[in-house]
Amino acid sequence: MIFAAILPGCSQKRDQRSENLVYWSSNNQNEIEFANAMVSEWNRRHPDQPIHTQPVPEGQSSEEVILAAVVGKTTPDIYSNMWQGDVEGYARAGAIVPLDTLPGFNEFLAERCDSAVIAEVTSSDGHIYQIPWKINPIMLIYNVKEMQSIGFARAPVTYSQFLEAGKRFQEDRDGDGYVDRWIGYANVKVTWWLRLFDFYPFYLAASNGGHLIQNNKVVFNNQYAVEVFRFLRTLYKKNYFTRERLDTRSDVFFAGDIASKFTSPWEITRIERYKSQNFDYGFSQIPTPDSHRGNVYTYADPKNMVIFSTTKNPLLAWQFIKFMISKENDLRLLEMTHQLPRRRNLFRDAFFAEFFARNPRMIPFAKQAKYVRGPDLSPVLKEIFDIISQEYEACVIYGVKSPEKAIQDAARAARLLLM
Amino acid sequence: MKKILFYILLIFGAVAFTYPFFWMISASFAPETEIGKLVFLPSKFLLYSYRQVFAKIPIGRAFLNSLLVSASVTTGVLIFGSMIGYSLSRLRFRGRDLIFYIIIFTMTLPFQITLIPQYILMVKFHWVDTYLALIVPHLMNAFAILIFRQHFQTIPQVLIDAARIDGCNEFQIIFRVLWPNSIPALVTVGIITFMTSWNDVLWPLIVIRDDKLMTMPQLVALFAVGGRAESQLGVKLAAATLLAAPIVLAYLFFQKYFIQSMATTGLKE
Amino acid sequence: MTPYLLVSPYILFFLVFVAFPVIFSAVLTLHRWNIIAPMKFVGLHNFIRLFQDRMFFRSLLNTMIFLAVHIPLQIIVALFFAEMLNQKIKFRKFFRAAYFLPVVVSGVVVTMLWQQLYGFDSGLLNRLLIHLGLPKIGWLSNPRIAMPSIALVATWKNVGLYIVLFLVGLQSVPEQQYEAARLEGATHWQQFWFVTFPSINPTIFMVLVLSTIGGFSLFIEPYIMTGGGPLNSTLSTILYIYKEGFFYYHLGYATTVGFAFAVLILLVVVLQRKFIEKEYA
Repeated sequence: MIFAAILPGCSQKRDQRSENLVYWSSNNQNEIEFANAMVSEWNRRHPDQPIHTQPVPEGQSSEEVILAAVVGKTTPDIYSNMWQGDVEGYARAGAIVPLDTLPGFNEFLAERCDSAVIAEVTSSDGHIYQIPWKINPIMLIYNVKEMQSIGFARAPVTYSQFLEAGKRFQEDRDGDGYVDRWIGYANVKVTWWLRLFDFYPFYLAASNGGHLIQNNKVVFNNQYAVEVFRFLRTLYKKNYFTRERLDTRSDVFFAGDIASKFTSPWEITRIERYKSQNFDYGFSQIPTPDSHRGNVYTYADPKNMVIFSTTKNPLLAWQFIKFMISKENDLRLLEMTHQLPRRRNLFRDAFFAEFFARNPRMIPFAKQAKYVRGPDLSPVLKEIFDIISQEYEACVIYGVKSPEKAIQDAARAARLLLM
Repeated sequence: MKKILFYILLIFGAVAFTYPFFWMISASFAPETEIGKLVFLPSKFLLYSYRQVFAKIPIGRAFLNSLLVSASVTTGVLIFGSMIGYSLSRLRFRGRDLIFYIIIFTMTLPFQITLIPQYILMVKFHWVDTYLALIVPHLMNAFAILIFRQHFQTIPQVLIDAARIDGCNEFQIIFRVLWPNSIPALVTVGIITFMTSWNDVLWPLIVIRDDKLMTMPQLVALFAVGGRAESQLGVKLAAATLLAAPIVLAYLFFQKYFIQSMATTGLKE
Repeated sequence: MTPYLLVSPYILFFLVFVAFPVIFSAVLTLHRWNIIAPMKFVGLHNFIRLFQDRMFFRSLLNTMIFLAVHIPLQIIVALFFAEMLNQKIKFRKFFRAAYFLPVVVSGVVVTMLWQQLYGFDSGLLNRLLIHLGLPKIGWLSNPRIAMPSIALVATWKNVGLYIVLFLVGLQSVPEQQYEAARLEGATHWQQFWFVTFPSINPTIFMVLVLSTIGGFSLFIEPYIMTGGGPLNSTLSTILYIYKEGFFYYHLGYATTVGFAFAVLILLVVVLQRKFIEKEYA
């Protein structure tokens, strides 16, 4: 029982350096280094107002840890890895500071982002509770040699091209009667956030950045969603994509078991580390319907910065944030983490030109950065994606529902939820 | 002739129940690419997977957490169980029967109903992400109380009277008279409580979100489900092997006690 | 004085961790709460939602499927091996220890291990099937087979315990009864049915009750192996409560599901005892 008395002291979560601000970065190694660099530089310049940084405590997901911190009122002052979709819920609960009430914020934001992005991050009450930091656009990564071997000099970009590639690539190499090579792969589990990396990018690409929910109304029951479902369903029906879970096996992309998958720039570091000598890969857009016109959009996977309401000095926190997302430090973000800052004209800005010249692998992403969307603003976004995910599994993976019916059912369930 | 058939079946059974573990250990030492073809032994033994486990997750810390939590819970259950069991079996006081029925009632109560409110209590007490949340709600175990009560009823009253005459208070009676005469019950309750506490995953998943405080099964379970293993199979199996190791080692040496404890518990149901 | 001192910790514990939660549980079912916003009273809304909730009823169906496979398999396999161990054979302790091994190992390990064995492409089971010239099976990817596959794992894990329990029961049958039966010309089967079976009835009943309770608590296997899929065929009710309560933080609704489920469990357990115990008492 003596343990019980001592232990709360040992696991002191409310680590109060009450004078100094606390900044939580993500627990990705590169980002930790970036955060440390930012904080050292800031502390050097402002020795009287030091900031302390630590990575968000490790857990199953940082979203969970943040929620626990909000509940336990142990939140830091600044957090930089807030998923855009979570903000609305926290805003409504009063857990984060409305940034547009801080002096200079609106001007700063207008300079950093274009109006579409600003609209994206504005909450339903008209205030802005987050500032866009970085994005990791979802694109298609493909094995150059394998694509060439089936006659594709570059990756397929339309649905029919992709299906054709799927047909050519499909093979049963070990002769056991089962296909063991597929043109691509998407995780088949029903977890809601997985759809952010398959269904959602396809939907955005097909609809030129369309919404799922707008003004608290369901708008995703349209032809684009149906087309996306139909296309993906065909992939699974013809076994160009497999229903088995390949993520429990050793890396299938390197092994050539799949010729492509959907990923974002962070994968570059990983691939460079683990790939074999002559493995060549490229990035391409998300495939679109044959009838598609215009720019190809995708999902941004945006992470933004917020200031929690528990802070004692929001103005100072805002100064630090401004510092972290200045042009110079955005460049450092690129260099240290290979993730794109979400600022307008990233690719055309001369300031970053030299970086992209040195890192040509990032160029497709920089070009894509102009045509990305973050998740719609809704406090029940997760539930909406869960509903879509359930219908996705029934229609796309297991083919027990038609795409029209699946979207209809999803829309109905979503409407019930939004009432 | 029939005997040989029996032996074949028995051996087949033994293989069926042990080979999968053997495969798991083998795979944890095998190169990643071989695992898909592995049957018995890998072509070479690598420590790569294990190194990865230790690099990616604080499994050593989780082991200590599990040890601390399970030991604390077991100690608590033994002490409190004895206290209550003794009171119910040997002392007379008003409300004794009421408490007995309450205890029976709690045994029948499905945990599904108290799960969420207990979590909310942890939140209100600020015990989330602390050891308290893992230990305190499990300090009392109706089952242990009943076992002790039943066992203490068999201890001759003379021993207790003698101790009282010597001037012992009730606590001293429990520890100096009852416990030495209840070793089997203590061992049984101890092993069962320790194992149940060690293997519990649902409750830690609910109240602990911070890596540093996770129990070992919880950490490995999250490792299996989450992305930190980066789809490396050998690494996940290595983590599983590490998780299995402590109990299996204890089992190899003390299997008699394990089997007996769980068997008597089952019978007493 | 002292008896009250001794039991006071329990009283305190009971009030805080049992009585209060049960009462609060009932209260919570009438509210909506996501832990960061204040609680909102919604009356019977949660219950209305529950009665229309397809996932909830699916989870109940899944539990029944699980029990339908797990319980008979458990009893038959356990009895089978116990019967054999009951014969005069050597190395009994060794076999017993081997069969009991999965019982002590953590469910997490067992689940992770079997997830690999069940792998469609390169899992051991399918490799074995191919070797024998049989088609592969979608152990965890076929919606109709996934839950039985999980039931198989649960059986594999626990049967050692029941082998031991049956063994105890079998060994308590006096040899004379078998002698008497054999003298009357009873075949092996008849010996089993008229001598063995009645003696181990209590044990069978106990296996039934324990397995049922285990089935209602099913969580870690679907959590790790399938996440509840495919097509929600392995969604156990506990997993559903966990998701609703601790993933979406629909705390009011999750409590409602838990409440309803607990009532159901109590009903089943009570019915089991009344019905079956009466039959064989």
